[in-house]
Amino acid sequence: MIRICHMYPDLLNLYGDSGNIIAFIKRCQWRGISVSVQEISLNDQVNLKEQNFLFLGGGSDRELNLTAADLMKRKKELKEAIEDDLVILAICGGYQLLGQYYLASNGEKIPGLGIMDFFTRAGSRRLVGNIVVEVSIDGLPVKLAGFENHSGYTYLGSCQPLGQVLSGNGNNGQDGLEGARYRNVFCSYLHGPLLPKNARLTDHLINLAMKNAGSNDQLRPLESEIEDQACQAILNRLGFKGITR
Amino acid sequence: MNLKLSTAIAAGKVAYWLSRFRGYQGSSLPGKAARRLYSGTLHDLAKKVRKGIIVISGTNGKTTTGNMVAEILMDAGYSIVANREGANMIAGVTTSFVMSAALWGSIDCDYAVLEVDEASMPLVLAEVTPVVIVLTNFFRDQLDRYWELDKVVGVIRDAIKICKKTTLILNADDPLVAQFPITTGLRSLFFGLGRQESSTSASSQTRESKFCPICGTALTYDYFHYGQLGDYHCPGCGFTRPSPQLEAVELNVVPGGTRCRIFYEQQAVELVIPTQGVYNIYNALAAFLTGLHLGINTQSILSSLGRHQSVTGRMELFTHLGKPVYLCLVKNPTGFNQGIATLCAAEGIKNVFIIINDSEADGRDISWLWDVDFESLGADHRPYQCLICSGQRGEEMALRLKYAGVPVDRISVSKDIRSAIKNVLAGHAGSAYLFSTYTALRPVHKILKQLTAKEDLQ
Repeated sequence: MIRICHMYPDLLNLYGDSGNIIAFIKRCQWRGISVSVQEISLNDQVNLKEQNFLFLGGGSDRELNLTAADLMKRKKELKEAIEDDLVILAICGGYQLLGQYYLASNGEKIPGLGIMDFFTRAGSRRLVGNIVVEVSIDGLPVKLAGFENHSGYTYLGSCQPLGQVLSGNGNNGQDGLEGARYRNVFCSYLHGPLLPKNARLTDHLINLAMKNAGSNDQLRPLESEIEDQACQAILNRLGFKGITR
Repeated sequence: MNLKLSTAIAAGKVAYWLSRFRGYQGSSLPGKAARRLYSGTLHDLAKKVRKGIIVISGTNGKTTTGNMVAEILMDAGYSIVANREGANMIAGVTTSFVMSAALWGSIDCDYAVLEVDEASMPLVLAEVTPVVIVLTNFFRDQLDRYWELDKVVGVIRDAIKICKKTTLILNADDPLVAQFPITTGLRSLFFGLGRQESSTSASSQTRESKFCPICGTALTYDYFHYGQLGDYHCPGCGFTRPSPQLEAVELNVVPGGTRCRIFYEQQAVELVIPTQGVYNIYNALAAFLTGLHLGINTQSILSSLGRHQSVTGRMELFTHLGKPVYLCLVKNPTGFNQGIATLCAAEGIKNVFIIINDSEADGRDISWLWDVDFESLGADHRPYQCLICSGQRGEEMALRLKYAGVPVDRISVSKDIRSAIKNVLAGHAGSAYLFSTYTALRPVHKILKQLTAKEDLQ
C-alpha cells in the first residue's frame, strides 16, 4: 500500500493542482495498488516518516505564509523523511517553501525551510504561459508540458534542476532551467496540472513511492493514449514532435 | 453643442457600420474610435442620463442580471441604454452610449444599465457615477489574467469608495461581497437565499474564501449553497451574513423553470422564472431588489422576471426533434459546477458536448478544469451515452473526464464542431447538454440554431 499525504489541500489549491493527487491515485488504483490518502491541514498530527508520497501545492501569499509557519514546526521530521527517500512533489509556492529564502520586492527576506539549496526573489515581470521542459526519466529524455504562472524567480545552488526549458520561462526565464531535484524530491513551476498529462513522470513517482513502501514490484503498463494526446496538444502548438523523441 | 463630442459620436457610428459591413461583431470598436477622438465621450454622455445609472459587476451572473434589470425597467415604461454581453470593458460601455446618442450629442434615456468587467471598474467609475452598483459574487476566474481573487476584490473596493452617493445592492451570502458596507462605508441593501433542503453543512467544491475578509480569521458556516455562498460567521470579529432585505426560500424546480417564495418588508410573494439553476435565482433576486429600490412595483417586477428568456449560453434551451438541448457558457469552476449539478439532476439518458478553448478571452490557463466536480459524472456514469470533447484543448477535457471516472469508451475527442454537435443531438438520449468556453460560444450557438428550432416557452 502507498501512503499519500496531501499537505494543506484547504489552503494550497491554486490552479487545479489537486489534479496531481487525482492522477497519482488513479494510476495506482488502475494497477490494483491500494492507496491511503491523508489530508493534513494546519496543526494536524501526522507522522511524515510513515508516508510514501507527499504533495505540496501552490497558494496565494496569505495562505503560503500560514503554511510556512506550520511547516517550520515539522522541519526536522520532514528533513529526516526526505533523507529516508520520501517521495515529494512540490509545485510553485510549495516549491519555493523548500528553499533557503524568498526575497520580497520590498527587500524583506522571508526564510524558507532550508531543506534544498536554492533561493527565490520577487521578479519584475510575471512569467505566464504554456511551457515545455525536457527531463530525464530512467536515463531517457521525456518532454513535460504544463502552464506556468509565477512572479518568483528561483536560482539553484548545489541542487539539480528538474529539467531543461525547451519553450517558456522555467525557474527564472534566464538560465534555461526548470524546477529542482534532491533525492526523491521533485519541485516544479508547472501547473496545468503537472501529473495528469505527463504520465511517465507520474509512473516514475509511483515507482519511487512503491520502493519507499518496501515493494520491488514492477509497475504494470497502462493504456495512456488520452494522457499522451493532451500532452501532445501543447507540444504540437509549440512546435515539438514526440514526447520521447 | 459640443463639437468634439459630436465628432466622436460620428466616428463611433461610422466604425460600427464599417465593422458590421466587414462581418465583425466588434462591439467595443465604436467606443474605442470615439474615445480616441474625444476622451470625455463616456463622461459627457453618461451625465445626460435622466434618472440614473446602474452598474452591475462580479464574477458570475453579470449579463443575466443586467438583462433582467433592463427588462424590469423597460416593462415599467422607461427608456434605457444598455451594453451587450462581451462588451463590458470601458470601450464597450462607451459603445452603448455612442450608439444611442444623436449626432448633436443628446441622448434620450431614463436609465443606463451597464455590465462592467471587474478589472474595468476603476476606469468606468472614474467617468460614470452610478446611483446603484450591484455586486453578484466573487469567484476565481481566469487566473492568468486576474491572478488572485483578493487583488480583484481590493481593486473594486478602492474604486467604489469614491462613489459616496451610490447605493450598493449586494449578495448577502457571499462574504467577499457582503464586506463592502464595512470596507467602503456606503449605504447597502442585501439579497440572499435562505436555508434550502439542498443546503449542505460542508462545501465539497472549491471554496474561494475560507477567511474573514475583515480580520482574516477562518469563517464558520451554518450551511453552504455552493462555493463560498451560504450562512457564515466570523468567530474573530463577529462579521456575519447580513440579514437580507429580500430573501428567497423554498426553491423548487418546476417544468421549464424554477419557483421560489420571496420575503421582503413582511410580505411574501411567489416568483417563477423560466430558467434553470440556483444561480439564476440569485440573478433574479439582484434584479428584483434593484427594481424595488428604483420604485418599480412588485407585480410589474414579477411579471418581467417571469417572462425572462435566457441569453446566449446561459442554459439556453433549444429543441431538436422534441429533445431538449441546453447550451451553457462555462468560465470558471463555480459556474461549471452549477452546470454539472443541473446536468446530473436531469432525468433520463443524456448526451454531453464540452468545448474548451484557451484563447486570451477564455483564459489561457485551463487548469481550473481540474477544480470542477466532474467526479459526480464519473460516480454515476450510466445516464451518459456519449461525452464528446472539442476545441483547442479538447484532449485535456477528455483526460479530465477519464480521471473523473468516466469510462474511456464513452469519451471521444472531435475537432470538427459541426459533426460533433450532430452526433450529440443524434441517438436515443432524452436530452443533450452542451458546455462551451467563451470564444467557442458563438460558433456553437450558430450551429445549434441551424440544427434546431428554438423552443418557445410561452
